[in-house]
Amino acid sequence: MPFHRSSLLVASVALAICVAVVGLALPAEATPQARITVYAAASLTDVLPKIDGTPRYSFGGSNTLAAQIEHGAPADVFASANTTLPSRLHAKGLCSKPVVFTRNTLVIVAPRANPARIRSMRDLARPGTKVVIAGPGVPVGDYTLEALKHAKLSQAVLSNVVSRETDVREVLAKVALGEADAGLVYSTDAKTVSGRVTVIGLPARAQPTVRYGICVVEASGDEPEARAFVARVLSKAGQGKLMAAGFLPRVKPTPAKK
Amino acid sequence: MPKRSVRRTLLGVAYVGAVVVTMVFLLLPIVAIFAHTSPAELVEQLGNPVVRDAFLVSLETSLIAQVLILVFGTPTAFLLASRRFPGHALAITLVELPLVLPPAVAGIGLLAAFGRVGLLGSSLDFMGITLPFTQSAVTVAVAYVASPLYIRQAIAAFGATNPDLAAASRTLGASPIRTFFRVILPLARAGLIAGLALSFARGLGEFGATIMFAGSLQGVTQTVPLAIYAQFDQDFDATLAMSAVLVLFSVVLLAALHAGLTWPRSESTRSQSLFGLSGST
Repeated sequence: MPFHRSSLLVASVALAICVAVVGLALPAEATPQARITVYAAASLTDVLPKIDGTPRYSFGGSNTLAAQIEHGAPADVFASANTTLPSRLHAKGLCSKPVVFTRNTLVIVAPRANPARIRSMRDLARPGTKVVIAGPGVPVGDYTLEALKHAKLSQAVLSNVVSRETDVREVLAKVALGEADAGLVYSTDAKTVSGRVTVIGLPARAQPTVRYGICVVEASGDEPEARAFVARVLSKAGQGKLMAAGFLPRVKPTPAKK
Repeated sequence: MPKRSVRRTLLGVAYVGAVVVTMVFLLLPIVAIFAHTSPAELVEQLGNPVVRDAFLVSLETSLIAQVLILVFGTPTAFLLASRRFPGHALAITLVELPLVLPPAVAGIGLLAAFGRVGLLGSSLDFMGITLPFTQSAVTVAVAYVASPLYIRQAIAAFGATNPDLAAASRTLGASPIRTFFRVILPLARAGLIAGLALSFARGLGEFGATIMFAGSLQGVTQTVPLAIYAQFDQDFDATLAMSAVLVLFSVVLLAALHAGLTWPRSESTRSQSLFGLSGST
């Protein structure tokens, strides 16, 4: 029987459609994957892979990541720059009870040359200063608003804000590129571009409490591995790597009695 | 013969199946947006200041960008369509480049060119112009990514006009300018309008270059796509509403375009497909 080209074409097209449909219809967690997926705050971009290089990482604004998890994103672990977001997910039954795994400090950064001569938080309120901060809902953005409120500079500084970015690294980039006069980021982020920015500390009364929470996503396809990852982050080695990057110990050391 | 009819049926099924899959795939996300909102919610969201500000910024910047694209793009397209010169192919490539450039790269490029520490940064500073973080920056970003769409269409439109008609106009004594505005432009009108619609739609949807170059601030630089992204985790209803309005707007735009192009019953402005070459012999 002669093998007609058209029947070959039909057969291959039909086969391709079948493969595509089956491939799309297969449940995502049919088999445990060799690598877990970790959704983590942008400020953890450099340090987490140093603690554990195996997982697939997705770094971004913690709020965007949390929303993606709510919409079914295939994360196994969620590491957020605050405890509010993972707690919210936990309340919805989407992840385990969050554990604080590290703390951080909020700082002001200005471009290396510091053309606007930013030397203190008050300088951010100077008219004409171009300030970049993160958007509402982004942890570092919320911490910034908290800091401004404590320093009683909210209105003045907010009127100088020219852009509200979607994660902390974007704020850092705009400042490091010299596009903005100043931005508010974590001290650990400033460390990653130390040669390109000037760091200005915040007064103690304005410093917000920055606590990072981590949890295992309920829909994870590999819970044991996910829990092992969390254990690695909480371990002495993991905590050591976090300290080395400039993060603060997970438990605030109690001041010694005089 | 049984074998042949089986093959024909299989072919027929595959044919229809492919069409159905395509239509459903393209339609489903759009239908889903409306399935999640009700008209009442939509109207309510229009009162949301974030939504209102986003639309105001988008419309203002897109309209200004379109005017700029029209004014600067039309002569460019006409030149590229009507004359051959050494480097012509290069010029076409340059004009089409922003089309294939990832928008984020376009944003970086704009920063590198017009940013404070960019190539032209100090000169702009000297003239008292700072672009980044201003609404003008949004206009520039939108114009940059959208112009190739218009220019390509315009080149095709001009190229498809009958050169004899222009020549006839000249021999009858009309100046080149008069010939352009009274003969060539009307002939190319269909293609030009199609190009404008394409570039307008592209400009409205621009995200990457805008957020990089102009930043995102409600009421100043936060266009609808930026607002959708910012509100996604905060207020999903607002996100759906903005998406739904944009969908409706796009539908109206396309419908108006179809109507506008089929209405003038002139032989050389009739076009078969909306974004194909304007039909003319």
